Amino acid sequence: MSASTHPGTETLLRYAAGTLPAGPRLLVDVHLDGCPECRATVARLMSVGGALLDTCEPLALAPDALDRALARLDGLSPRRNPAALHHAEAAGAPSPKRWPLPEGLKLPPGVVLPPAIASRRIGRLVPVAPGVRLGLVHLEEDPDAQVLLFRIAPGRAIPQHTHAGLEFTHVICGGFSDPDGHYGPGDLVECDGDVDHSPRVDDDGECICLAAFDGRIRFRGLLGMVTRPFI
Amino acid sequence: MSVQPAEPRVAASGAELSALIVAIATRADREAFGRLFRHFAPRVKSYLVRSGLPANAAEELAQETLLTVWRKAAYFDPTRAAASTWIFTIARNLSIDLKRRERYGDTYKAETHEDEVDETSGETILMTAEREARVRAALAKLSEEQATIVRLSFFQEKPHSQIAQELGIPLGTAKSRVRLALNRLRALLEDLK
Repeated sequence: MSASTHPGTETLLRYAAGTLPAGPRLLVDVHLDGCPECRATVARLMSVGGALLDTCEPLALAPDALDRALARLDGLSPRRNPAALHHAEAAGAPSPKRWPLPEGLKLPPGVVLPPAIASRRIGRLVPVAPGVRLGLVHLEEDPDAQVLLFRIAPGRAIPQHTHAGLEFTHVICGGFSDPDGHYGPGDLVECDGDVDHSPRVDDDGECICLAAFDGRIRFRGLLGMVTRPFI
Repeated sequence: MSVQPAEPRVAASGAELSALIVAIATRADREAFGRLFRHFAPRVKSYLVRSGLPANAAEELAQETLLTVWRKAAYFDPTRAAASTWIFTIARNLSIDLKRRERYGDTYKAETHEDEVDETSGETILMTAEREARVRAALAKLSEEQATIVRLSFFQEKPHSQIAQELGIPLGTAKSRVRLALNRLRALLEDLK
């Protein structure tokens, strides 16, 4: 199978359906930001959601449901000014807060963290293997989500870890190869937990990438994670 | 819990439903809200129950969804999305938010949810009304089994085991059927370009 550098159809569908866990969802958000093709696919899948909603067998609400809703309308006025939306869109919406770069992370000139990541607190990058540092990206909306920021020296292998389910990797800068192909900035790689592959970072520069996991692997704190056997 | 259909399946055309949202946006039309509520609230509740929410939580979220429609009607652009897609997106975002609140309590408040219905997905990347109709045409081309797979993939949090059970096939087979069905769906959707 040749290398895919985009989220799989099932992943995009779960994203559209709202069932993708927070960590992978964040990585897909980052990917969509730079990928008009996948944005178009998600838009079509959202329409699939609308079509499926249309064909849902209606399930009756409590008899007073509409009356209760109408009563609640009194406290809510519809927004009057749609122009305000376009204005907000033009202004890039309310600009999200940005955290300073975590200790231990240096970005090459011209490289910035994707906005969806820069607005998150990232823990200090710690060495976990020769040439490999990683920091934890904190997701306020899901403190259990495992999103990792890797900074890996040229020519080094990306540490493999055991996990169940899919692993998602998004390349911020630099690149790496595995037997299926080569991946560069903006690419999102999905791989099965049981697939044994040994990605190796390009020789000509560091690779900074994000990893997230489908399913719930619980490391016991950062130490537990660091001591987890990397192959 | 009653499972009586609240309203006949085809209650209104897409254009009529869109016009109701526009009526709310332009003149705070409570009657339009009532009609929209009667059409969509039971469907949103049904969607949420299928996706695993208990009936009372689904009912509450269906209410919230329609109240959000009232508040944000001015953001709806009928040339960009069908009413059902827009409302699906709102229900989707509210249910993501609810699952998060259930697990972690109310300590985190998504800032973007107050003003915008969505963060990066949602209304900003919805498609035109014309393509909405063609998405429905694409769905109609799926085989019955593939349509079941697409529906379960959308509604179930762990769809593979549900699909295996519903189709009476082993889990491994279910996984490959899902892949085939979704690839076919995607190919049909891409024909829409």
